[in-house]
Amino acid sequence: MLTEGLVVVHERLGEEAQRLMKLVLKGPIAKTAQAGQFVAVRVQDPTLASYDPLLRRPISLAEISPESDEITLLYRVVGKGTEILARARCGDRLSIMGPLGRGFSLPEDGELWLIAGGIGIFPLYPLAQRALAKGLSVRLFWGGDNQTFLESAGLSEWQALGIPIHLSTMDGSLGQKGLVTVQVLGLLWEFNGKVENSGQTMDGKLYVATCGPHKMMQAVTELCMNSGVPVEVSLEERMGCAVGACLGCVCTLKDEAGTLIHKKVCQDGPVFRGEEVVWDVSC
Amino acid sequence: MCPVDSTTELAGITLRNPILTCSGTYGFGEEYTAYCPLEALGGITLKGITPLPRLGNPVPRLAETPAGLLNAVGLENPGLEEFLSSYLPKVRKLPTAVIANISGFSLEDYTQMARALRRDSGLAALEVNISCPNVKHGGMHFGTDPQSAEDVIAAVKAETDLPIIAKLSPNVTDIVEMARAVQRGGADAVSLINTLLGMSIDLDRQRPVLANTFGGLSGPAIRPVAVRMVWQVYQAIDLPIIGMGGITTWQDAVEFLLAGATAVSVGTGNFVNPQAPLEILKGIQGYCEKHGIASVRELVGLAHKS
Repeated sequence: MLTEGLVVVHERLGEEAQRLMKLVLKGPIAKTAQAGQFVAVRVQDPTLASYDPLLRRPISLAEISPESDEITLLYRVVGKGTEILARARCGDRLSIMGPLGRGFSLPEDGELWLIAGGIGIFPLYPLAQRALAKGLSVRLFWGGDNQTFLESAGLSEWQALGIPIHLSTMDGSLGQKGLVTVQVLGLLWEFNGKVENSGQTMDGKLYVATCGPHKMMQAVTELCMNSGVPVEVSLEERMGCAVGACLGCVCTLKDEAGTLIHKKVCQDGPVFRGEEVVWDVSC
Repeated sequence: MCPVDSTTELAGITLRNPILTCSGTYGFGEEYTAYCPLEALGGITLKGITPLPRLGNPVPRLAETPAGLLNAVGLENPGLEEFLSSYLPKVRKLPTAVIANISGFSLEDYTQMARALRRDSGLAALEVNISCPNVKHGGMHFGTDPQSAEDVIAAVKAETDLPIIAKLSPNVTDIVEMARAVQRGGADAVSLINTLLGMSIDLDRQRPVLANTFGGLSGPAIRPVAVRMVWQVYQAIDLPIIGMGGITTWQDAVEFLLAGATAVSVGTGNFVNPQAPLEILKGIQGYCEKHGIASVRELVGLAHKS
């Protein structure tokens, strides 16, 4: 669907040096969107029509509010496109394509662990909301550079959900110092042990959804596969068309026969089952 | 005033209007249906196919440049057999003229595909890509040597009864020489232009952005080059020209028609605005009305008249 989103909120998120922005758009997309899906936003200075930058920017949905017809996009200003996007004002209308791609699936019951690295936290929030609304137990593991980042990127909103949260920072300023996967490993062993001691299997007990740096998602996938826990990962790749036509954003997967295949991140993903992803790839 | 007649004729095919989409930017016809009804288009050109399936190049395959896009997809495609069994039954039912696009690494590659794609396949025409810049030892050889270009077009022509459109590479010293060669080979039309070979370097990594190092540049950045080539080829040969290269607005499209294109094709422009083809058609019709022109066919080559 190609629509115009009316900018109703556009403000800095947290501390200035983090260069994070919150953009709330009003439009029909919220009615059909799933957590993990994204939109492709045309970035253009409204006062100066230009084809530089040329392409739309894919941005994941950080909040989906069908009752108010609003979607929230959280993004970091990292280059020309996002710098121009950051200039959009309340009352402006932005051309958006979406909702695009395949989002996270919601387990029927059991516990859902969300594992985020950096701004990979953003698409996980609507998943947490929907999982909680469905009555699932949700737990968050989130790693970032430091306390300022985590607080700027929405820690208080996560705390308001009332779920257990395990934080990691690289400098140790908040939570445990080091990689988020260390904490995941510890709790996964504990969870595994409890299930085994009760004489049960892991089937249907635990699900993981992860978004963040490639290496982190690879490590999370390995941990989950070793424990027999289904894991969904949200991949990222440079996109052209965003609808599966140009084959610019392929990722490599292994099909059931073990053959390497390409899938389109924009259309078949961005969310894939972790075990089908070929992480160290050169084809 | 009567409505503007948008129909046009190209290589013996009647098109409801002169707006096509470029190979490699429009998938196999179904990807954009939520944004642009195919009934509104003159036709679509399918993703290029090769005899065998290809995984294409590693990522990154794309690099954005000022008003442009570098791509090095490397002809990822399901291969001829899969195309015939899974895609053709669907695409032949699409409510618009469907042009298949074939690429190869040898003469036999091209003739094998041409034999399998004939009028009874339901296709409107066959576009022969002799200009892909993104595969090693690829079609590029056929696109830069006039004799090879003539030979491959003649060989394809001998194998199929479909109209043949030769898609030419701009990465040559003399585009006119190439156009004359494919005319001699029996082409029914030419597509001008494929992408311009380029590259981009990542300053942080100090490495090329594209995994393939080089890629094909498309988008508004290349439009003046494309218009110039359409202009030159229009003066030199008698075949109809499908103009392409950076068309994003109706003004861009009119420029190509005035330079001598019989039809225009929208590629990268679809990524920017998936409704660009619709807006371009409306804009061309409005332009004709404003200038008292009854048919879009009258625009073709108008800028050459003194």
